[in-house]
Amino acid sequence: MNSRRDFLKHISSAALLAGTAPSILTWALQQQPAVEVPGEDGMVLRSFRFVDLESPVEYFNTWLTPVPHFFVRNHMHEPSELDAHDWRLSIGGEVDKPLTLSLAELSKIETHSVVNTLECAGNGRSLHRPQVPGIQWGKGAVGTARFSGPRLRDVLQRAGVKPTGKHVMFRGLDEVPGKVPPFIRSIPIEKALDSDTLIATHMNGSPLTKHHGFPARGLVPGWIGAASCKWLTEIKVLDAEFVGNFMSPGYRLPNQPVKPGDAVKPEDTHPVTALTVKSVIAGPSDGATLKPGKIVVHGAAWAGEADLVKVEISADGGATWSPARLGHEQSHYAWRLWSYEWKPGKDGDYTIQSRATDSQGRTQPEAAVWNPSGYLYNAADRVNIHVA
Amino acid sequence: MSLNVLRKPSSSFEGTRLPAPPRGPVKLTTALAVAVLALAAWAQAQKPAGVNVTADLPAGAMQAKATTACTECHEARIILQQRLSKAAWTKEVDKMTKWGAVVDPADRDALIDYLSTNFSPDKPAYDPQRTAGAGKSSK
Repeated sequence: MNSRRDFLKHISSAALLAGTAPSILTWALQQQPAVEVPGEDGMVLRSFRFVDLESPVEYFNTWLTPVPHFFVRNHMHEPSELDAHDWRLSIGGEVDKPLTLSLAELSKIETHSVVNTLECAGNGRSLHRPQVPGIQWGKGAVGTARFSGPRLRDVLQRAGVKPTGKHVMFRGLDEVPGKVPPFIRSIPIEKALDSDTLIATHMNGSPLTKHHGFPARGLVPGWIGAASCKWLTEIKVLDAEFVGNFMSPGYRLPNQPVKPGDAVKPEDTHPVTALTVKSVIAGPSDGATLKPGKIVVHGAAWAGEADLVKVEISADGGATWSPARLGHEQSHYAWRLWSYEWKPGKDGDYTIQSRATDSQGRTQPEAAVWNPSGYLYNAADRVNIHVA
Repeated sequence: MSLNVLRKPSSSFEGTRLPAPPRGPVKLTTALAVAVLALAAWAQAQKPAGVNVTADLPAGAMQAKATTACTECHEARIILQQRLSKAAWTKEVDKMTKWGAVVDPADRDALIDYLSTNFSPDKPAYDPQRTAGAGKSSK
């Protein structure tokens, strides 16, 4: 039975809660709701207009990244109208027989699938010092998906590439604001004719979503995401590299390391093409406090056109490194998941680092090579944790 | 409206926490708590959809002109996340003007000052919002 004192306690706690009600209501009214972006799930919002979304690194625990967790990079506005029935893909330039294909015609061409790790050239830009302009990606402008569609070379062969054809240009349907140069780039003919380069219409078995380039996109495996043009509508074979802002000065690296503020001549640069070797720690999270005992460090690692050879972990500031166990799922252009069981010797603060090595003998460096546009950041990854 | 939003404050309210509930779980307080939370959820739901989809530039003499010049093509978050020197901001402003941003030549220096004062390398790191969702997608 409740005593009078208990009753008063109930009343006082009820009154206290009633007193907090206005502050909860104020908080609820002021609180910004998470921004709804249809088809996207809990992504880091770098920009809403135009849409740029980053995967939180803790999503990197599946070999294939679910589409709602896959990063989105747009330089321009997405096409305001996309109609699969009206969509056409033209193939022209240095070809014998220019073609125009409908989606139905494209879908009759033999389909191939490539599991590819797609990474934005600017992934990790925010980690460069000094900071450089551009979308300030953390570590999550990367994902892995099974892309399917006709081989680009099968389409090019129908048009008949002339011997003068040296580069293949892609143009998408994204909408260019102001006087911004259009997002048009080209890839060398050798990469265009590679049996793994696709005109992708599907991602993880489903038609591409609008954010990922519906109804068709280029898929240039192992290369920076910018090579894989979305909302593809024109393919043009050229006798030389396309001339435009997103080929130069955009997406180029200095031939030699430069210091911030140094002037870099265009002739001293080269285009960014294949991805480099890289690993990212998906867990534990940076800043986490963990209980003593077995801690599983895990993540993903990739190497562009090369094969991943090993991932190593250090918990002692890089003095010693131990090999992580690589996941069974693998494909030439896809990342490998990895994990490492670690038992801290005592309570305290630790920095855990991961570094990957690939079949070209490249190993993630201690510090990334700074460059004016912040491309290809690939320093050994690190998280700081506390064990108590 | 899911109560999830109440458990996950967005970046702009970093540090905001729900007031700690009083101790002593009793029916009266529980009922009241449910009512308050329901009311809070209702209050959230009353906000018009689309509010705060894009962000705003910070207050200052150039806020209005910067908003007009920059957000014609892209929203403010692209600016809010930069941490650049005055030299780098100068290059950005001149590039964007070439690309169609309408900046009166008389305002150029003030615009560069506004951007390099508000978004300099010594400012705290930008803390981005998340899109809606529970992070449970499987395909």
